[in-house]
Amino acid sequence: MTRRLAMLPQAWLRFWFSPEPAASLGIGRLIFFTLLAFFYLPHDFSAWGTVSLAYWQPIWLFRWLHLPPLSPGAISTLQAIWKVALFGAAAGFLTRTSMAVVAVLGTYLLGLGHNFGQVYHFDAILVIAFWVLAFSRAGDAWSMDAWRRGSPAAASGEYRWPVQLILVTQALVFFAAGVAKLWTSGAQWFLSDHLALLLQRVQYHISDADPLVPWGSFIASTPLLYHGMALTTVVVETAYPLALFSRRLRAPLVVAGMALVVGIRALMGPTFEHFLFINVFWVPWHRLLRIADAGPARRTAPPVSSVQET
Amino acid sequence: MGKVRLILVHGLIAIVLGGSAYDILTRQEHWPWSNYPMFAQVHRTSVLNWYRLYGVDDRDRELPLLKPAYLWPLDQSRLSIGLRAIAQEDGSGPRLREAVANALERYEDRRRAGEHDGPELRGMRLYSVQWDVVPYATNFESPSSRMLVAEVMRSGP
Repeated sequence: MTRRLAMLPQAWLRFWFSPEPAASLGIGRLIFFTLLAFFYLPHDFSAWGTVSLAYWQPIWLFRWLHLPPLSPGAISTLQAIWKVALFGAAAGFLTRTSMAVVAVLGTYLLGLGHNFGQVYHFDAILVIAFWVLAFSRAGDAWSMDAWRRGSPAAASGEYRWPVQLILVTQALVFFAAGVAKLWTSGAQWFLSDHLALLLQRVQYHISDADPLVPWGSFIASTPLLYHGMALTTVVVETAYPLALFSRRLRAPLVVAGMALVVGIRALMGPTFEHFLFINVFWVPWHRLLRIADAGPARRTAPPVSSVQET
Repeated sequence: MGKVRLILVHGLIAIVLGGSAYDILTRQEHWPWSNYPMFAQVHRTSVLNWYRLYGVDDRDRELPLLKPAYLWPLDQSRLSIGLRAIAQEDGSGPRLREAVANALERYEDRRRAGEHDGPELRGMRLYSVQWDVVPYATNFESPSSRMLVAEVMRSGP
């Protein structure tokens, strides 16, 4: 027991700071910010500046920082800077500055809507990821900054902890959702007709968007289906943190988590699409690169037997 | 990694994970942290109560405002929960009327700008609507009850 306790600090350091090539974090940054830049490009936050203060019910962060709803013009300016910074962070141009701007302005812009009546959960993890990346060295590879610098970065724990912190945060999101269900409702969450009722209720246009498919009522009429879906939801959510430690469970849990998000959007309405973008950090990009690099070499190398013959 | 950098990174890890752990354990929300309580409370009844805005046209016909384009960026969920919270405050009458008036103004501004193809409205009413939930929401047009909460009509022609 004492020996195991003594190993904890080492395990902790290994988990967060084992040296990793800069490529995984760099490619993750590139794909993550590219997806977000294109996702938010048509999105206009300035409309919040025209909503009456009668709706204003500030969340703690805006109250604490005394952040007001700005005018439409001011929000337009901020969002233009933010969107340029998103593309800058994706391209790895002045990466640290771009990511810092993304984090600061993104917190305001994405947080703004939550002050008007309801706090949604679609983008919270994105804001946390912005701040984690703002403190990281995600621009050391696969970036214009790295290309200008020339010399490749050596493997370091600097390229592991940001990815790990984002993934642990995502695992906690699912875990929290599972725990909330069990803590609030216990086994009744999947043993009762709760999910059937939920699937029926959303047909009454009560979500921020309508379900993409009208299958909710059919599922709600099939107890085996909705009890099974409810149980699967709770199991996947509470077990999700295992994906951090088990290589065998990682892929099934991550795919199941993505399926949950897609299922919620399709059957119930809430617009969780951009929540999916965080999954790019699960991919071990440097390993895929190694495989891709080895591929052409394998294909062009002469067969061993023919080499031996000559 | 240098010592200062290591301390800084550990500070960041502590803030991110500490915020999540605090919200999960205390069952609170501090955006961007949360205990993610959505859908956690079991529904034991098939009755649905919802605050909904209805537009009133020049022939006094009522139209439920469902299309996202009508009142964007306000949506069905945010409107219902937000307006209910306002209505439950003491002396909320003037604030509620201002909120509904802003929704009417938003609808008309967006209609004139071609952002949606809804009819011209001369007023807006906020109802507390109740349905007995049935498959495919076939009774959507005929709720079991409706109670007027607030009303705003445009003055002039």
